[in-house]
Amino acid sequence: MSWLAQTIRRERRALERARRRFVGEPTEKHLHDVRTTGRRFRSLLEDAADLLPHPRLLRRVRRAAAATDAARDATIIRQLLETSTDPSEVDVARPLIEELVEQERSATRIARRRLRRTSFLP
Amino acid sequence: MKPERIDLRGAGDLDDIVRRVVQTRLREVEGLASGLERRDKQGLHDLRIACKRLRYALERFEELDPLLAKQAQHFSALQDALGEAHDRDVLLTILPPTMGKTQQRLQQERERCVDRAAELWKQPIGRDGSHEI
Repeated sequence: MSWLAQTIRRERRALERARRRFVGEPTEKHLHDVRTTGRRFRSLLEDAADLLPHPRLLRRVRRAAAATDAARDATIIRQLLETSTDPSEVDVARPLIEELVEQERSATRIARRRLRRTSFLP
Repeated sequence: MKPERIDLRGAGDLDDIVRRVVQTRLREVEGLASGLERRDKQGLHDLRIACKRLRYALERFEELDPLLAKQAQHFSALQDALGEAHDRDVLLTILPPTMGKTQQRLQQERERCVDRAAELWKQPIGRDGSHEI
């Protein structure tokens, strides 16, 4: 039990550090880090809920994850489109790529604004 | 897809907790593995999420039982294959109809990703050569 409690404390601090890095410098890497750290922590809280329930914290982590979904999705899809487009269709793909770039920017701004107001510390 | 609640009431010790968590998450994956035969978007997505939960649990418990690392890598590879199929599914839904060649390429890549995931799922992962962890 103490191992589980320690792990929760450790992962909670890791998520808070990742959140601060992203808010301070909202790069693609920092977004990726805050998402992966958040997913791991959420999974831990869900797995341990019977013994060590943290319902409010879990809700906060879920909301934070949802706030970053749109930015990450746009990045992944834009990158895939750039690498998969048939050479003969590059011109047709261009407006969609530009639209996805704009979605990335705007979704990252929104995610940063939301995460700035969130803290994962007790 | 909401995760199944893990019954940890009366758990004896940490080993017992690890066993219950891993068994529950593995059961979720097994329950959704039929998505690999149907090859449908939602079924594959649900299986990917279940694999991710199992992988995270295995990675978390690696420090307690290093033998879990191999299983974690296996489910990580399975999750990657499903993730690549999912990305193509998402892109295919927004691709303009005028991008027929790209669409065909993405569709073929998607099917290859699902084939890779199905192959990985067939591989025994247990310590005794079974599907049990």
